[in-house]
Amino acid sequence: MEKVKVKICEGTTCFVMGGQAVKSMISTLTEKYKDKIEISSVRCFGTCNKSDSFSKAPYVMVDDEQISSADLEKVIAVIERKLNNE
Amino acid sequence: MFIDIDCAQIKKHGQNAYGDYFVSKRSDNQERVLAVLSDGLGSGIKANILSCMTATMLIRFIEEDISIKKAAQIIMDSLPVCQIRKISYATFSAVDCRNDGNVWVVEEGNPSFVLMRDNEEMPLEGKEFTSPKFPDRHLMLYQFKAEVGDRLIFCSDGVTQAGIGTKDYPLGFQRKGLLKYLKETLSIKRNISSTELSKKVIEKALSVEENEHAGDDISCSVLYFRNPRKALIFTGPPYNRGKDREYCMSFSFFAGKKAICGGTTANMISRELKLEITNVDEQECGDLPPIAHMDGVDLVTEGILTLTKAAEYLEQKELNHKDAAGLLVNFLLESDIIEFMVGAMINQAHYDPALPIEIEVRRTVIKKIKTLLESEYFKQVSINYI
Repeated sequence: MEKVKVKICEGTTCFVMGGQAVKSMISTLTEKYKDKIEISSVRCFGTCNKSDSFSKAPYVMVDDEQISSADLEKVIAVIERKLNNE
Repeated sequence: MFIDIDCAQIKKHGQNAYGDYFVSKRSDNQERVLAVLSDGLGSGIKANILSCMTATMLIRFIEEDISIKKAAQIIMDSLPVCQIRKISYATFSAVDCRNDGNVWVVEEGNPSFVLMRDNEEMPLEGKEFTSPKFPDRHLMLYQFKAEVGDRLIFCSDGVTQAGIGTKDYPLGFQRKGLLKYLKETLSIKRNISSTELSKKVIEKALSVEENEHAGDDISCSVLYFRNPRKALIFTGPPYNRGKDREYCMSFSFFAGKKAICGGTTANMISRELKLEITNVDEQECGDLPPIAHMDGVDLVTEGILTLTKAAEYLEQKELNHKDAAGLLVNFLLESDIIEFMVGAMINQAHYDPALPIEIEVRRTVIKKIKTLLESEYFKQVSINYI
């Protein structure tokens, strides 16, 4: 089964808005999702620089789905949905 | 030629102030480097005041284009005499170097400096001048042409007399101990920086002292004549998007070490130069985003947070951090001529009041780094806003 790709933005805005915390929290869940997800960092999605996206950092991409104001709960929900092919 | 200069010092054991004083200046046009090392009589605060006054007065005289001999003579003739010890209040060594290699050195009372060339001591003949006012004061004047790779090593007598009276060094570390140590160290690391060499010399001197307690103030200043090491830091996307490619190409053709500070900047360079950005695993991050890798680029970091932290490390002289800002500090300190390409494009999201921390304006941080690198680390820095 193809892994779900989780990309976390490490641009300045996302970083200070908690992107790093989301990354480390997801990383601690590797036991449960060990063979199912692939976590990586991205320099910057550039999303925060669009005027309609202010105040919505951090951004996380789960496959092709962008999550704004990402936190662990939101990211896990999308991961679960993707894994269950919903 | 670039002149890499630094000084390292240790206070006399039990004292809370340095009795030796080192001061150096690089002229605005970068063509001249001046330095003075003075040793104040005694130790502690009194010696500190005496050496500080002597060194700062002397460097100001030399700076004002009075010949180094004349400047040193004025100081030599005017230094007061200690009523108890009947000797002058401070000794000094001063050096005036031009980047064409011409060097003038004057010494009064300090151990004679060393010129190391191809890992050998180069003997030099100097002229001696005696003070008309104080016949026991003698000034030595040297003039010579330095070559690429030469090093000048100035020490206070705390180095040459280190360990005096001990079993291993009954007469102290002496000049011959210093020379032996310099040869050993330079044969191991030929390109050692002035910062590292001066630090090693004082640490060696301290190691030969009884119980490793400095019996006197220990100072070592090193001047290293070398070809300049150039570095370019690209931070922030250019104001005019139409010029992205042009700036990326000039970054790519730069002859020297290269760094990128900024996620958007890295993405832009990656896009324009078709270079892939890859993550660097297992790196110490601290509170900063991790570094990345790009072929042909020596360092890729996040932008403003890393730059702000690097400015803090430079200001606090915290030079051993291993996070992205620490690596950036190392990158800067390993270079002599540093150019910043600062993109003027603003990321409005950085000024979102919802951000938990205040983010400084890129220009302000870069200006602060420039000032610190020039005044504290003797680097030649330029900023190009794009």
